[in-house]
Amino acid sequence: MKSYLKYFLNKFGWFAITFVFAFLLNFILPRLMPGDPVAAIVARFAQGMSNTSGVQAIYEQYTELFGTDKPLLEQFFIYVRNVVRGDFGFSFSQYPRTVADVIRTSIWWTIALQFPAIIVGWIIGNTLGALAAYLKGGFDKILMPVSIFVSNFPAFGMAIILMVIFGVNLKWFPTSGGYGFDLIPNFSWDFIKSVIIHYQLPFWSIVIIAIGGQAIGMRSMSIYELNADYVKYSRFMGIKDSKIVGYVFRNAMLPQVTGLALSVGTMVGGALVAEIVFSYPGLGTTLLRAVLGQDYPLISASTLIITVMVLLANFIIEILYGFIDPRIKAAQSD
Amino acid sequence: MLDGQMYPFLADGDFEWNADRTEITFKIKSAAKWNDGTPVTAEDVAYTWATHVKYNTPTGSANTPYIENIEAVDAQTVVIKAKLGEDGKAVNPLLVEAYLSTNYVIQKAWTEVLEERVAGDPTALLADPAEDVAYSGAYGKYFADDTKVVYIRNEEYWGQDASMWGKLPAPKYLAHVIFKDNAAGTTALQAGEVDVSQQFNSNVQDFWLEQGLPISTYLPEAPYGIGASLPTAFFNLNSPGLDQAAVRKAIAIAVDYPTIIANAMTNQSATFDQVPRSLMNPTDGEQALYDHDAVADLQWAGNDIEGAKALLDEAGVVDSDGDGWREYNGEKLSYVATCPNGWSDWQAAIEVVAAAGKEIGIEITTNYPEWSVYQTVVTKSDAPLPEEGYDIFMMWSDGAGPTQPWGRIRKLLSSEFIGMPSNWNGNWGQYSNPDADALINAIPAETDEAKLKEMYTELVNIYLTEVPSFTLMYRPQSFHTVNESVWTNFPHADDGTNPPVPPLDLTDGWSIAGLYNLTLVNP
Amino acid sequence: MKHTIQQVFRSGKFVLGFSIFSAILLIVIFYPMFVKDSPLAILGQGTFFPPGIYVNVYDSMSSTAYTLNLPDAAAKRVANKLSEEDRLSIKEWLVAAGIPESEIDTTDTAKLLGQWSANFDPKKSIPGMTNARRNYFIRLNTSLKGLLSTEGATISQTNPETNELEQVDTVNQKDYVNVGEVANTRILLLGTDNFGRDILTELVAATRVSLQIGFVAGLIATLIGLTLGLLAGYIGGLIDDIIMFVTNLFTVIPTFVLLILISFSIGQEQRGAFTIAVVIGLTSWVWTARAVRSQVISLRNRDHVNLSKLSGHSIVHIILNDILPYIASYVIMALILQISSGILAEAGLSILGLGPRTTEVPTLGLMMNWAMIYQAHILGNWWAYLPVLVTIALITFSMNLMNTGLDQVFNPALRD
Repeated sequence: MKSYLKYFLNKFGWFAITFVFAFLLNFILPRLMPGDPVAAIVARFAQGMSNTSGVQAIYEQYTELFGTDKPLLEQFFIYVRNVVRGDFGFSFSQYPRTVADVIRTSIWWTIALQFPAIIVGWIIGNTLGALAAYLKGGFDKILMPVSIFVSNFPAFGMAIILMVIFGVNLKWFPTSGGYGFDLIPNFSWDFIKSVIIHYQLPFWSIVIIAIGGQAIGMRSMSIYELNADYVKYSRFMGIKDSKIVGYVFRNAMLPQVTGLALSVGTMVGGALVAEIVFSYPGLGTTLLRAVLGQDYPLISASTLIITVMVLLANFIIEILYGFIDPRIKAAQSD
Repeated sequence: MLDGQMYPFLADGDFEWNADRTEITFKIKSAAKWNDGTPVTAEDVAYTWATHVKYNTPTGSANTPYIENIEAVDAQTVVIKAKLGEDGKAVNPLLVEAYLSTNYVIQKAWTEVLEERVAGDPTALLADPAEDVAYSGAYGKYFADDTKVVYIRNEEYWGQDASMWGKLPAPKYLAHVIFKDNAAGTTALQAGEVDVSQQFNSNVQDFWLEQGLPISTYLPEAPYGIGASLPTAFFNLNSPGLDQAAVRKAIAIAVDYPTIIANAMTNQSATFDQVPRSLMNPTDGEQALYDHDAVADLQWAGNDIEGAKALLDEAGVVDSDGDGWREYNGEKLSYVATCPNGWSDWQAAIEVVAAAGKEIGIEITTNYPEWSVYQTVVTKSDAPLPEEGYDIFMMWSDGAGPTQPWGRIRKLLSSEFIGMPSNWNGNWGQYSNPDADALINAIPAETDEAKLKEMYTELVNIYLTEVPSFTLMYRPQSFHTVNESVWTNFPHADDGTNPPVPPLDLTDGWSIAGLYNLTLVNP
Repeated sequence: MKHTIQQVFRSGKFVLGFSIFSAILLIVIFYPMFVKDSPLAILGQGTFFPPGIYVNVYDSMSSTAYTLNLPDAAAKRVANKLSEEDRLSIKEWLVAAGIPESEIDTTDTAKLLGQWSANFDPKKSIPGMTNARRNYFIRLNTSLKGLLSTEGATISQTNPETNELEQVDTVNQKDYVNVGEVANTRILLLGTDNFGRDILTELVAATRVSLQIGFVAGLIATLIGLTLGLLAGYIGGLIDDIIMFVTNLFTVIPTFVLLILISFSIGQEQRGAFTIAVVIGLTSWVWTARAVRSQVISLRNRDHVNLSKLSGHSIVHIILNDILPYIASYVIMALILQISSGILAEAGLSILGLGPRTTEVPTLGLMMNWAMIYQAHILGNWWAYLPVLVTIALITFSMNLMNTGLDQVFNPALRD
């Protein structure tokens, strides 16, 4: 157990350092972008203003409010102090909304869209992959090329084709938004139904691609394990086939579970294209709009969330592996 | 309004200037009520102004140079006192008039509540989301999130008064849906999820020609709408060679405008054959303000390669070293034409401008910086524009409004904006002409129509001769495409309304009158 | 080596992928030799001309006219202007105008049009009729004018001397021209795009540029990934820790987000196709580095490596001779995947409006982006986006198919 504690502390240390650097990068990178975000805000107010001093006054007012005239280092310390207090400040591009408010309204859409899509894609993909490995023959011959084709299909292309076929031509599903254009969010059956219907196209555009990738991975791992020595040995020993298959797929799952955890961590960035094509009000679109509007606080906060999610997912995997996989323990000791 | 007139709404009858044109007097309708049932009073108007001044809001600082004070004479009567110049006349009567139709009246009682809430802090006052604001319109906020804003009809709305419409507007709810991009908005319009679309829908005629949908525009045929603003290509007057009017005009007459209008705007702009270029937008009111025949000889239809070459040859701007490009003062004419990245119709237009250069021996390449960079560079008028990347660049010009076309002309030609560190007005190419400045200064105080026409014609003359910038297309105030799956009787040309309901989104200005005409297709 | 190649080409998947990829390459190489137009030349005044053969009308008028007596020509002409749906609409109008339904026969064209021209009044308002519907009837009315005429059309020209219109020719309804004899025809196999450019020519040029972008990006990513992976895996220790730390940083800030930030910061004026390729390469090496590292770790304690160490060979020598050959096949597969994902990354960036500069060279992503901006997918202009998507899909599919084929050859355990 002591060696495990050492392993844990070592990992934790690295993750902490990574977090600090990532935090720093999240702060600096957006601010290295050229252009003056305050000028864009002033543009919103100054249209139609014809006297010089008025425009200048507004400009100075907002520069001071956002502190963009201070040295970068000072801005950073102010930022750190505020973040520690849980205050991410005002969004530049959606002023006077706060960053926290913008993110709070968008992140749930992303999680609600991505999380189930990843899980469903993972389950279906792995089932198909395992079946392909076990059944072989015709099923495998068809599934494999189809999976390769689908998993390498550009995400926006999949989204657009689904939209054109099922939204524009067949009119089965609406093409944009998170819920009906004529509804107000509440807990009525109408609203929930509307959310579910609006959910279908973005959902499947993610799921279909995920299925392909997972199926290929699972198939390879399963074939690997099926041909492993312990399987041959067990067969030789006369252990029941169903029992062996159980072992095989459990072992094959291990890397797949890692993949699952990682894709949960990276889901915010991954949903970007589907969210944009279907006008889904998620974090991906928020982030893109923040970049285009040079909304430093919003970019920093969005990337910070992504960072934390990815770190957490990685950390949990590493820790669990430390427990589960004896080979990793062994590797630590040499 | 698109006809250049102001129509009273909260006001009872037209406003009136006094004899010296130093004061405007108007009355508030006695029927006008806030949503809390209290009447809209002259005191509300006066207090709104006082608040703008007190907290130095953008509106306040924009208007204090022209407005001395706004006072309530009695419960209904308002007097606006113009700021007077040294000569005892109003500094700019036109901008005083414009205040009437470009600013909202805010209830005094609510303003006081707000002031108390923010404890007099100007920043907090401006940042307040004003969830509880009192309103005098027909609709109030019902719901808002990232994807939509919904308004609900105020059943007590004073428009039911016999002096107004005598009834409520037809729709109970108004939903403003926010789309991530134009494509999403177009799809929703096509699906019938949107009744009135005010965005650019490319090839809008395909909706009814190819797809047979119940979709229509203000005009049944191209250009489908009435242009109100003039997207303009500015010349950087500090670039070598572009200080020469001959070079500027040669480029302008060589450009293939029909292709810009057909491809970039998918024919949703009047052509320059239909509406010859000037400083006016294509609305009848503005077109009548100048003498078309007097400047007919200065017009150009575009695509005039030979004419452009002749103009350059005559000015001595020729290709002396035989490399295929012309030189001025021994320097090869090489320019960058630019507009913000992602502004698709402008980008397509700039491509066509660049293609014209090649034909006449002037090298024009294109370049599209991100908007955030572009605007920082273009609006910095306290120094010459950097030559690199901003020789020919696109910006907008004013649409229709109470100060037009004077306001637009001022922003296209007036040298007063040179020197502003953050210039959101115009003349970004930094053109300077004392004659034009003098005319621009004189127009607001001029009341004689014949004299005005003369002055406007002279300005158009200067503009077409000097070419400090040139219009590439016409663009409506807002696009207006309607899907008549649910509602019909939207404003369209010759719909019999008087005064005509303008093709806006039915929530702004006089266009709200359109809401009273709507009927359900299947009642 | 020869044996390996033989084996590779015996894999059905690899051969299929290789054939598709070679076909694309051949088209990209040979098409420009036959069609020499600039891919960015604006041909059409107007947007999204549908695919087809375009015949110059002016030249057709002066070409030899052949008279063909085709029995159904008149009927086709009418059907082209007056569909079944139009007939029903006319009936609807006539009924609303008070004509008894029994008197209307939608199959009798002459009678129907007679009733129509006698009764249609554009000013008349029918209850419940939308403005869109009114516009439709007015357009229909215009297009029906002279539909049943059997007269030819007259061609007139202005006489430059008298300035008067003079008849020069007539075109009869039975006149045909042979397309081969018309001076100007143009085949637009995939129509034109929003700029009025020939899509096929543009698509071929775009495919070439996208392949180049993918190749440069893939090469950079693989080189960086390979170098870092080798160093981290073989040397281990502090170097491993540092490299893994940097790698983790790149994982924590997702590649695509980084890509967006960098592309935006560079600014469109600096974003040539090559720059984009380099940026993609610099941000996508991470998984190659991780994969190579784990391969190397499993190799570094093998006997032949230990033997080499004992013989006093330098690290460079060991890496080049004792490690690299064992992971070479793996690296080639990684390269193929990197190229294919580089092409996808460019397309993704361009869709967001952060792709290479628009006007120098076309890329697949840019074509897609412009088609989307001008709403080709909503308006049913499939030729502007579907061929682009299919091309991208075919490239990535063929490369991944080759990769899977290689995988099965090099990892016998995966063979079916």
